[in-house]
Amino acid sequence: MRDYPIPENELERLAALKRYNILDTLPDNAFDDATKLVSYICGVPIAHISFIDESRQWFKSEIGIGVSEVPREITFCNYTIMDTKMVEINDTHLSERFKDDPNVTGGFNVRFYAGVPLTTPDGYNIGTLCAVDHVVKELDDNQRNALSIVAKHVMAQLELGTKNYELYTQRKIAERAVLAKDSFLANMSHEIRTPLNAIIGFTDLLAQTDLDETQKDYIDSVQIAGENLLIIINDILDLSKIESGNLAIEMEPFNLKKTLKHVYNLLKVKVQKDVEFNLYLDAEMPENVIGDQGRLNQILVNLVGNSLKFTQEGEVTVSVKKTEETADGYTLRFSVKDTGIGIPKNKLKTIFERFTQGEESTTRTFGGTGLGLNIVKQLVELHKGEIHVKSELNRGSEFFFFITYKKTEVQETASKTVSKNDLGHLKILLCEDNVLNQKLVKSVIQNFGFELDVAGNGEDGIELLSKNQYDLVLMDLQMPVKDGYQTTDYIRNEMNFSIPIIAMTAHSLIGEQERCYKAGMNGYVPKPFKQNILLKAIKTALTEEVGPEKRRRIDFSFLDEMACGDENFKEEMIHLFLEKIPGQVAELEEAFKKEDHDTVKKLAHNMKSSLDIFMLDDLSKCATIIEEEAMMAQFSTEILDKINILHCGIEDVVKILKSL
Amino acid sequence: MRIILAEDNDILRKSLSFFLESKGFSVDQFSDGKDALDAIKENHYNLILTDINMPGISGMEITQYVRETLKSDVPVIILTSSGVEQTELDSFDIGANEFIAKPVSPAVLLVRINKLLNTRV
Repeated sequence: MRDYPIPENELERLAALKRYNILDTLPDNAFDDATKLVSYICGVPIAHISFIDESRQWFKSEIGIGVSEVPREITFCNYTIMDTKMVEINDTHLSERFKDDPNVTGGFNVRFYAGVPLTTPDGYNIGTLCAVDHVVKELDDNQRNALSIVAKHVMAQLELGTKNYELYTQRKIAERAVLAKDSFLANMSHEIRTPLNAIIGFTDLLAQTDLDETQKDYIDSVQIAGENLLIIINDILDLSKIESGNLAIEMEPFNLKKTLKHVYNLLKVKVQKDVEFNLYLDAEMPENVIGDQGRLNQILVNLVGNSLKFTQEGEVTVSVKKTEETADGYTLRFSVKDTGIGIPKNKLKTIFERFTQGEESTTRTFGGTGLGLNIVKQLVELHKGEIHVKSELNRGSEFFFFITYKKTEVQETASKTVSKNDLGHLKILLCEDNVLNQKLVKSVIQNFGFELDVAGNGEDGIELLSKNQYDLVLMDLQMPVKDGYQTTDYIRNEMNFSIPIIAMTAHSLIGEQERCYKAGMNGYVPKPFKQNILLKAIKTALTEEVGPEKRRRIDFSFLDEMACGDENFKEEMIHLFLEKIPGQVAELEEAFKKEDHDTVKKLAHNMKSSLDIFMLDDLSKCATIIEEEAMMAQFSTEILDKINILHCGIEDVVKILKSL
Repeated sequence: MRIILAEDNDILRKSLSFFLESKGFSVDQFSDGKDALDAIKENHYNLILTDINMPGISGMEITQYVRETLKSDVPVIILTSSGVEQTELDSFDIGANEFIAKPVSPAVLLVRINKLLNTRV
């Protein structure tokens, strides 16, 4: 072992080196190019860029050396990192310090050495950039200058790498913050909707009792306030769904004219007495299209609602025109025009931004959250459409947007208005633990003319179900003793009852609906529920053809290709899948609960390959998302949802495979 | 032709090796990277087929070892489920001949294996 000098600031120097995360990384073109440059500039056969840690000199890039690292004690660069400028030894044989060095007398046969320290911006020499030759040599000033410049560039490259990494980390942090915000919003809205459910429901019921004028007036106010509050909460929930990419535009055939007339009738009641409210439909406008009826409704109600609110006299006109027709679609221009207060010119650009209204005083005078137009814009854009506004202060505004709908062959099946008379007398069982909700549902159901029994939890529900004959079960999802899923599972798989079950839940989280259907439920009513929606769900659940179950079909083509037609082998693989995968799901859920990111990552990764073999693309995608989040060592609420989907999906697949 | 297959997912590994054996190759399969590398050191293989993420050591490390330490130019195909471009670049950088993203199409895999084996006759 030879002695070598150690810089005074060695510890800080090592810490600085560590910061760059450069040691033992894969080769990088930028560094290789710099090394080549050194070799060309100095005309030497050996050149390298290296970093020195506590025990070794590691070559990020080298020419003519052929190893990736050497022990620290044998390198000349130990002296270079002690210096602030270039070290040049023209002839090692004439140097007292080096003439007997093993790498001079043998080894790399170093006769000429030039090394520039790689100095961090805060002054630590973490490595060197070197030119080495087997013959005596002297660099000229240009060459020396060039070497220093290359060394500076190498440092800049390193800095850039850490900056990029920092940026990447920052971006991940920002993305996580957005996720956290979204899940906070979703959870908050959920918490607020639950009590609101009770307020709106009981107010509804109270309004149907005998009241004097003053009481009616009070109840009206409570109803309006309650509904406004619900709209605000739904707005917030919509926004968080749009932001997190969880809001999908449905593609179902619907009757466009009816939808527009429905919006018109709905809002007609809000028209002030000096305002004329018109609906103009282009004669060429298609009757039926494929698209998202609910979202079109939402856009129009929002825009028209605004116009009506801001127009004291004159008119509000909704018009729809066909602007383009192609082989498979129509582009329509929807316009909402009013003669209201208008929008100042300087606010036109920002009118679609969140929490922006025409004037500061608008909120005070007209109320509103300032979220509506932002949601409208995002909804139109989710339709791949665009929205514009024209306005003049005190003259009026026109909001118009273009949406392209697909053509449909099918006439929308006329949905009969729900009337309780068709259903006869029903006996319904409600499983619900919240006493307020029990009372609310009981009153509503009795209003429909049905009979209702109440069970405070799933266990009691099952007992009642085994004693009495019911036509339908209304199932809350969160209950003590046995929750809605467990109860449904028991009814379906232990009791083998096919009685229709409708989930009632205040969660409005994505994926839950799917989980309900997977669990074997037939319908889903979000709370706070509207009486007619509940009635409709009951009707649908009862009249629905109990046809072949909507099942997943497994595509064996990949496995078949692998098995080359060998049925035994295929069976063996299916067996292996059945043996492994349920355990892995359980392990995954367990590891998720313990926030064991590493195990989650490994499991999700491994499961992905198995899922791919059975071409379960949707589940494999879930596994990918889970793996990615685990890699970032942070789970968002979305992941719980993905794990649920994965869990249900695999349960389904296992059932199907077992039945083969 | 002798192929070594390193892949930690049992179903995928068994399927792939069954498939390749049906096509006339002899396949040694390993679920652990370290065992695979030990086998590579001791036997002669015509082709290496390896996953990246495995217990023991990774497919990247196997490739690097084969190229740098064993100085062998045996064809290496890397399988991975990573959709990251850098992974593919890194694979070629350390000397892999092919890079196949999972899910692996057996037909495509076969074509690539044959191509690599034929060009080396």
